[in-house]
Amino acid sequence: MTPYFYKEPVLTLDNVSMSFGGELVLRDISAQVLDVVRPNMKQGQVVGFYGRSGIGKSVLCRIMAGLVAPTKGTVQVGVEQEPVKPGAVGFVQQRYPLFNHRTLVDNLLVAAERKYNPEEARQQVESYLERFCLTPHRKKYPAHLSGGQRQRAAIAQQLLCSDHLILLDEPFSGLDIAMIDEVKKIIVEVTTMDELNTVIIVSHDIVTTTALADRLWLLGYERDAAGNLLPGATINQQHQYNLAEMGLAWHPNVEAEPEFAQFVEEIKEEIRRS
Amino acid sequence: MTFRFVNYTSPMKELFSPNANPQRLVFMSMVATQAFVLLLLWMFYPLQLFPSLGEVFRSLGSLIADQGLIQELWASMTTALQSIAIATVLALLISYLTALPFFRPIAYAATKMRYLTLTGLTFFMALMVSSGHEVKLSVLIFGATVYLVTGMTSVILTTTQEEMDHARTLGMSEWRAFYEVVVLGKLDEMLEVVRQNFAIIWTMITLVETLYQSEGGIGLLLYKQNRYLHLDGVVAIQLVILATGALQDYVFVLLRRVFFPYSWLGAAK
Repeated sequence: MTPYFYKEPVLTLDNVSMSFGGELVLRDISAQVLDVVRPNMKQGQVVGFYGRSGIGKSVLCRIMAGLVAPTKGTVQVGVEQEPVKPGAVGFVQQRYPLFNHRTLVDNLLVAAERKYNPEEARQQVESYLERFCLTPHRKKYPAHLSGGQRQRAAIAQQLLCSDHLILLDEPFSGLDIAMIDEVKKIIVEVTTMDELNTVIIVSHDIVTTTALADRLWLLGYERDAAGNLLPGATINQQHQYNLAEMGLAWHPNVEAEPEFAQFVEEIKEEIRRS
Repeated sequence: MTFRFVNYTSPMKELFSPNANPQRLVFMSMVATQAFVLLLLWMFYPLQLFPSLGEVFRSLGSLIADQGLIQELWASMTTALQSIAIATVLALLISYLTALPFFRPIAYAATKMRYLTLTGLTFFMALMVSSGHEVKLSVLIFGATVYLVTGMTSVILTTTQEEMDHARTLGMSEWRAFYEVVVLGKLDEMLEVVRQNFAIIWTMITLVETLYQSEGGIGLLLYKQNRYLHLDGVVAIQLVILATGALQDYVFVLLRRVFFPYSWLGAAK
């Protein structure tokens, strides 16, 4: 097993609940993402939140990104654990929005100018274009980019202005096998760019999310003692998995391992039961 | 043996197929044919509802030579351009201010003023401003602004949560996000609103030019031709206005293509 240890928290969800018009969507969600350190490795980490379609994952994303305040509870981010505010967490939405009126290079520049002076911003943008294989498309408008290029551009844009935390909402949704592999490569690429980089995947794709993550939280519903479904999705104690501890993290081809397949089967069974 | 499905549609059939995209040459030939048929109908229609083509052309010549049609058109056009420019600035201001809840009732009221008839309003405007030209201009500005605000606010309302969230996640302040997503992001659509509503000015210009006749204008010329039942002159002037409108539309489309090249990229073809 790869040696590792945890340092300070980089994201803390403390008893987060969210209601809309009196309807409880999320209930008492607590989770903490800790900065993981692997000796002699200069790599960030990937953590995953799994939830079935319609369970409130996008709401959770918007809360974690600071775009909407939870009805109850707090979200704190960064080494200083400050309350989250918009812009503190890079957030790539499901449909990879970009500014359609700007070319690709301008889209990245407008993001980079938040953190860097104009000259540095230009250099950073060039380096990201190169790293994400987008240089030949720099003058194109978003409408001319393919789905994969658009996704890479959206991730690059968020990385250029956020502080190490990047949240991906359903990054594998509607993609074919080749595209999923490409997205996986990008995610790994993001983690290798800086040791502090943490990618948070919120997805309903259990296999791909589990394969990439070293921590996994399962969003689901709970039942009371009488067997009635409680309102609001939550993460209970049994649904928090430390994949690193289980020996299922950081393997290049973990999906081919029988232990991984068995774990995924167990999770699927758990989901079906809930 | 292999079978291959060939999706061949004849050019003629394509013109009647839903969502078809005929070749440019085919499409242009179709337009030319339609125009020619219309011309034939005009020339040979037995009921003679309209003055004949020859009469209209003769009248056009006489209007240009004797009654200064071109000068009158220019006078109307400068008034129309002046009005639409001021109305656009006003409408953009009112529409963008809807970002602040305080100004929303004002924009809402402005959109509803489309239902007001201009008759009577001109009297109040005459009391407020000094010259006939200013009354004419203020009536046109008022009429165009209320339509422009309606179109522009509905463009602003198409802004999605995703678009605003995207700007916010890049750390933009609320004003900066509004500027990026709504002001810059929808400027091309605002130009389209102006193009569509410019026509309102031409429909109002006849009314205002007849109220304040000192400056002339093509509207006044049309009014006079109509009053003396010179139908050939009426049709000639209407055709001139129609051609001016079409040219105006073309210029707007050209401006949109030059300044907002991304505008058509996502449109269905």
